[in-house]
Parts: sequence; structure tokens; C-alpha cells
Amino acid sequence: MEASFVSASSLTKRFGDHVAVDSVDLEVRRGEVISIIGPSGAGKSSFIRCLNLLEVPDQGTLRIGDATTDFGAGRPTAAHVRALRAQTGMVFQSFNLFPHFTALKNVALPQMRVHKRSKAEAEERAMAELTRVGLASKANAYPAECSGGQQQRIAIARALAMDPQLMLFDEPTSGLDPEIGAEILQVMRSLASDDMTMLVVTHEMEFARHVSNQVAVMVDGAIIEQGSPDAIMSNPEHERTRRFLSAVLGR
Amino acid sequence: MLDVLGYIALGATWTIALTLGSAAIGIVLAVPLLGLARSRFRVVRGIYSSIVHVIRGVPTLVWLFLTFFGVGQLGITLTPVAASLLTLSVIATAYMAEIYRGGMQAIPAGQWEAAGALNLGRFATLRDIICPQLFRAVSPSIATQVIGLLKDSALVSTVGVTDLVFRAGVMTQYHAHGLFMFGFAGLIYLLLSIPVAVFSRSIHARITRKYAIA
Repeated sequence: MEASFVSASSLTKRFGDHVAVDSVDLEVRRGEVISIIGPSGAGKSSFIRCLNLLEVPDQGTLRIGDATTDFGAGRPTAAHVRALRAQTGMVFQSFNLFPHFTALKNVALPQMRVHKRSKAEAEERAMAELTRVGLASKANAYPAECSGGQQQRIAIARALAMDPQLMLFDEPTSGLDPEIGAEILQVMRSLASDDMTMLVVTHEMEFARHVSNQVAVMVDGAIIEQGSPDAIMSNPEHERTRRFLSAVLGR
Repeated sequence: MLDVLGYIALGATWTIALTLGSAAIGIVLAVPLLGLARSRFRVVRGIYSSIVHVIRGVPTLVWLFLTFFGVGQLGITLTPVAASLLTLSVIATAYMAEIYRGGMQAIPAGQWEAAGALNLGRFATLRDIICPQLFRAVSPSIATQVIGLLKDSALVSTVGVTDLVFRAGVMTQYHAHGLFMFGFAGLIYLLLSIPVAVFSRSIHARITRKYAIA
């Protein structure tokens, strides 16, 4: 079997006494799309944020590509943080575009600062990514002039322009109307078919079922089961998974 | 009549110089002070709050007298203008730092997170992402503070700086008509504050329209 591209082992994150992420193990192979589902407050977002160190795990080991970091003995060094983040792109629930930049500059500036690309080069790439998400026409608009769905697509373009090996999606459609969410899911679906490796925290069961290769169910900080979408959705082993699914699927 | 008005109006030179001088120094020196406020270490943050609390908790006039008369006793003689500039600058620094601190809290955590997730370094994050938004968020408060400094600068007349109030006082002693003399000085303060307010409002309106930053 091909070696995994991402390997999280025993990742644990505590907030005070609360264990948000409880010794989670997860392997992701290149090109794989894994959806993480589960009830609110289960630690899904905390877990995915551990992967690019927006939350620093208290324990465990994380490897992405050839960058490995062990947690538990002090803060990770800046070099470790950079090495992990260089391989990941993240899309947030609240978009988090830079409001004082146009769409084009939102996508171009990080490339110039991090990859030291020239302005022309960065803007050319930015236009290519904006075109890919269908928003070339909004290049000169400020985020405030764009709808939520457009802002999220710009945010996806911004992340893609950094050449990530792994895309992390933290409930990318939760802040949007279902109809608008569909256009985001469409972009994600096309990324998946381009073999982007993706970890997606989502409440969109249709996406989890039809786009992802695997579904992981997270409850109380732990992944309680993981498997093919069909197996999890149609024939969950865990009683807790059954309860969750019947609640969200309304059956 | 005209030479009386001219004599008083000339005081605006010191009023303006001390206001702008202390504002500029405050705007710059508040940045390192903000660094203390945002330190990871609680002790350093404690030092920041103590400094700001002490500076803001003592009346400006008392600071001015402490600087002018008190420091003189220590063997360092400051001219009235130097003592005034020093006092107003220190006070401006403390207030500006608090304004910056409030502005930083107004920047959503998501901005830092997005910058971090994109792997922007600390310097680039501050320069490209945080500072421009901070400046936009605090510009109205800074303008208010500059108008406050303009009015506080009247205190420097008590240590002998020949500002608007000092000169209005001199003219009152020569000619009486205090109502007229100080009324005229007050009018000039009012006129001086107008450009600051108008400037700030126009910048802010432009920013709010364009970027939708409150």
C-alpha cells in the first residue's frame, strides 16, 4: 500500500480541562478526500486546525510529506511551523479575506511575500486561480463588494495559489445559504477530481457521501469510526454514528 | 485693536507646534508601547498597564508641574517649551497606545489566522495585513485624541509658554476686556480643531465606503 502523505498519531489538544482532540490517529494518502463529520463541539475544527498549527497540539506527532513535528515538549520552532504550513492551505468558515485588498491582491500578495514571486508572476497566477473558481471578473473588487459565496471562492483561490499539497476545509459552507454553498461544493468537487488531497470538516452529507473517499466520524474529540462513505452512511457500526446520521439526515 | 488680535493669534504658533509635535511623537512611540501590551508574558503586559495607568491617572497639569518644577530640582533645567513638549508627548503616547490596543482587539482573529495559514511571516503579517487595518480602525480615535491634545496644550501657558492662552492673559492684564481676549483665543482653538475633524471624517468616510471597515 502506498505510504500516507499525512500521518497524525495520538494528536491531543486540550483547552484548560476540556480535551478537544483526544489522541486522534489519521492517515491521508495523496489525492484522497476525507470528510470529517460529527456533532457540533466534537472537536472537528480543533483537529483540522492542529494540522496547520493554528492550534498547537499538546501531544502526539504530525507528519505532512517529509515535515515531522513532535508535540509535548515546548512550542514547535518557527521552522517546524513554516514547514508544515508550506504544504497546507486552509479555507475557513468565515472566509477571512483581507478586507483592505482587492480580490486580486488577496490572492497575489501572499505569493509575493512567501514564495518571493514577482508582482507580475503573482498576479498572473492569481488571475489563473480566480478564473478557476469562476471569478476573474471580480479581480478588482474588494471583499465587501462580493457576496459570501464569492468571498469564499476567492479564499479558495488564495489558498490554491500557494501550491498546497493538502487543502484543509473548515466548514466552508456553514456560513452560506444552501444555494450559495452549492457553488462552493462545486469548486471543491472539481478540486477533488484534480486529485487534490483534501480534509473537509463538513455538515454537507451529500458532499461527504459522493465526493470523499473516506468519511471519519468524530465525537467527543475522538474519531469513533472511519471508512468508505457508503459503509459509514448506510451501515454505521457505531450507535453514536447512527444517532448522528439519523439526526442530520432526518430519518 | 488689530495688533491686540495679532499678538494673541501669534500664540497659535506654539499651540500648533506643541499639539502636532506631541501628537507625532505619541503616534510613533505608542507603537513600541503597544509591543509591551501584546507581549506573551504577563509581567510585561503588567508593566504596560502600570505605565499607562500612572500616566493617565495623574492630571496633565500635575505632570507638567512635575516636569517643569520637579525635574528642575534634580538639577536638570528644562525650558518651558521643552517641559511642555515632553509632558504632552508622554501623555499622548499613553493615550495613543490605548487607542492602538483597542484597535488591535477590533481586528478579527481570522485575519491573523488567515495570514498564519498562508505562511506569512510575523513581519509581513504586521506590515501588510494588520497595520493597514489598524490604522483605518483607529484614525477617528486618533483625530479625537489630537483635538484633546490641542485643548490640553492650553495648560502650557501656566509654565510660561507664550501660547494662545498665555497671550490672551497678557492682553487682559494690559487692557482688561477678558471676555473679548479669551473669547478670541477660544475661537482660534475652535478654528484649529475644525481641519482635524474634517480631515478625519473624510478619510474615514472614504475607508468605510471602500472597504466596509467600521
